[in-house]
Amino acid sequence: MWLGLLLGLAVYALFGLVPMLGNVVISFTDYTALPNAPVHNIGWTNYASMFSGNAPGFDQGVVATVVFVLGVTLGQNALALLLAHRLSGSGRAAAIGRMLVFLPIALGVTVVGLLWILIFNPQQGPAESFLGLFGIHSAFFGADNWAMVLVIFVQIWQNAGFSTLVFIGGLRAIDPQIYEASGMDGVGAWTRLRRITFPLLAPAVTANVLLAVVGAFTTYNLIYVLTDGQYGTQTLGMLAYNVAFGSFEANLGYGAAVSVVLFIITLIVALPLMAALRLRERRLLG
Amino acid sequence: MQRPRLIGGVAMGLLVVILFLLPVLYAVMLAFESPAHFLNSPLTPGSPDVHNFSGAWSQADLGTELLNTVLYSVVAAGLSTLLGLMIAFPIARRLVRGSGALYTLLFVGLFLPFSVIPLFAEARMLHLYNNRPGYILLHVEPGLPLAVLLLTAFISSIPAELDEAAWMEGSGYLTYLMRVVVPLTRPALLIAFLYGLLGVWNDIIGPVVLLADPNLFPVTRGVYNFFGSNESEWTLLAAGIVIVSLPVVALFAFSQRQIIRTAIAGAVKG
Repeated sequence: MWLGLLLGLAVYALFGLVPMLGNVVISFTDYTALPNAPVHNIGWTNYASMFSGNAPGFDQGVVATVVFVLGVTLGQNALALLLAHRLSGSGRAAAIGRMLVFLPIALGVTVVGLLWILIFNPQQGPAESFLGLFGIHSAFFGADNWAMVLVIFVQIWQNAGFSTLVFIGGLRAIDPQIYEASGMDGVGAWTRLRRITFPLLAPAVTANVLLAVVGAFTTYNLIYVLTDGQYGTQTLGMLAYNVAFGSFEANLGYGAAVSVVLFIITLIVALPLMAALRLRERRLLG
Repeated sequence: MQRPRLIGGVAMGLLVVILFLLPVLYAVMLAFESPAHFLNSPLTPGSPDVHNFSGAWSQADLGTELLNTVLYSVVAAGLSTLLGLMIAFPIARRLVRGSGALYTLLFVGLFLPFSVIPLFAEARMLHLYNNRPGYILLHVEPGLPLAVLLLTAFISSIPAELDEAAWMEGSGYLTYLMRVVVPLTRPALLIAFLYGLLGVWNDIIGPVVLLADPNLFPVTRGVYNFFGSNESEWTLLAAGIVIVSLPVVALFAFSQRQIIRTAIAGAVKG
């Protein structure tokens, strides 16, 4: 028993926890991974250059990250709430709907990203044909004013299914008698949703907002497939990857420093947000 | 009251179909179009043409890559499910001191970002870079936290008397796990395996950073590179995506009920 437990924990420590600390260690070095290149301890240099304005990628990265996180969090939860409201039933149509909205998660970021590149193909793609009717022509994923909006959209499309299922779980946990007991039989569906259903969904809202925020801060694999961080879509996660692996300098030390800063920013945003959402749950559910 | 509800239902159905089904159908339609037909009328289906599939299959070397992907994802997900069980059982049965702390430690793992830079450095140092066993070993950990959480919850819900009796009879721990615990926890094991499998199968950053030899590439990197080297051959690219997606879609079609049920149930507890 001990052997199995320790083996499992060793794998978790070696490839889960050690890399976390490894990021911090590497961030204080000039590690490049070039063969035979010596590695030096360079102190806070990587961090200093981030905040000195000499590294243009960083300031833009902060802006792109904020836009991306806000857009994804709001869009994903709004869409998921709308979908969950209709797909929580036990009927056949609802079951098929649930399967469809979850399909992008099974397809994975690579296929999903490439699929949307096909659709927003600026030469003869369906989006170009459709928007062309309104006189709109663009390079889409290759255009500064479109790329970020589309990247946010595809990130939402990719992950809305999971958020929808979390909301459905929340909806199913609501006792149907509450609706009858509330004495609001006469009111419209919208008022009922706003006054009863949404407050009772508080735990699911907490889970979904945090999932979307942390996910949007840290993941960049979809952005990598769609634009590789070009055209204003280089979030901090993407920046860390690109300075480490996407350029000739292969500046892994600097990339690690960006990852550490991103991790700290994520905590600074996510922890108070979690506390606030938990407070909200207590206020609404008593 | 009835009319607006009906309209709302139909509108919602349309939204789901347009947003989630149409893009997928478009790729399938494109895959069956000849390039000439696509040039003339890009939005309508032509007479089905299967040349794109044979072209994509041979040009992108999808056969080798699919085999690599299956090997990586099945072995890595299998190992993380097995190790997950090895960790979860003592925690669920409180056989070790500090079970609660261990559980929290694993729970934190769900939120740890995928730290690719230090993983790359580790892979280099431990000779796990650019080889199959290394690639598999590096992909065991991402599936572990979820496997432990799912299995701990499931094992805790089975009465201990059911399995303890068998242990007392003196069989070894491993035999006992395999003979008694595995059959009892099969549904949770399957879910942990499936989620782990999807994670490894769909990884794109890992194959780009941790592999260099094209013979070792999984299908994600293969189809991604295929897009880079065949710009504007849209029908061929669509066929590539369709081929790559088929195994996952088949797997998903067969297991979606359990996968979706787990996600919904998790929401209530979480």
